Amino acid sequence: KPIYDKKATTTSQLKICLLNQYRGSCAGKTEIYMLCDKVQKDDIEIIFRRGSWKANGEFAQTDVHRQIAIVFKTPPYQDQDLSEEVEVNVILRRVSDQMESEPVPFTYLPHNRDPYDVKRK
Amino acid sequence: NPIYDSKSPNASNLKISRMDKTCGSVLGGDEIFLLCDKVQKDDIEIRFYEEDEEGCWEAYGDFSPTDVHKQYAIVFKTPAYHSTEIERPVTVFLQLRRKKAGDSSDPKQFTYIPQVQDKEEVLRKKQK
Repeated sequence: KPIYDKKATTTSQLKICLLNQYRGSCAGKTEIYMLCDKVQKDDIEIIFRRGSWKANGEFAQTDVHRQIAIVFKTPPYQDQDLSEEVEVNVILRRVSDQMESEPVPFTYLPHNRDPYDVKRK
Repeated sequence: NPIYDSKSPNASNLKISRMDKTCGSVLGGDEIFLLCDKVQKDDIEIRFYEEDEEGCWEAYGDFSPTDVHKQYAIVFKTPAYHSTEIERPVTVFLQLRRKKAGDSSDPKQFTYIPQVQDKEEVLRKKQK
């Protein structure tokens, strides 16, 4: 069995600890604050996934704060004409070895489903 | 000149980098994600304050040591403003402050928004 250095961010396990929001418009562009275990800012991506659909959360290296938080924007969902909410998975993935975190659910909301809900935010 | 160990959390400067919200209800209780420079989870507080001719007000963000994430982020709830009867948004300041040393970060602005029901009530009363 190989021995991993759990403290090294190049091989350590990836973990999403907390998001400030778990719901957002299917149009994307929702700004999310993610708290996570240590990541390398130049070797990490955020994947939104459901079935065969996949898209990346959008952020720059400067949006990775001290290796433990990432501020990013949600990608638009594949279907912009939703009649009801859709739950997808959010995953942290290290680019170099393609290691993935456990998924966290995120819900895409239909357009103008509830204008007051949007207003509240 | 004193020499500071800039790697030690007790000597390094406090700094608020980013917050996910800069406004919230006058009643408080809004959850905020705050990203910051290194802090000690048991020696940090978030002070909301206002200083004007009428005097000073201060209140503290609500969080426990477990809400401090890896020394570089804090998830907390906003305190209520001293008056919940405001008719217009009020902008106050918040800063990080070490409990023991008492030193603090540069302030950031935070805006308290009036209650919607109150606003409508005021309008109704004005129409009478």
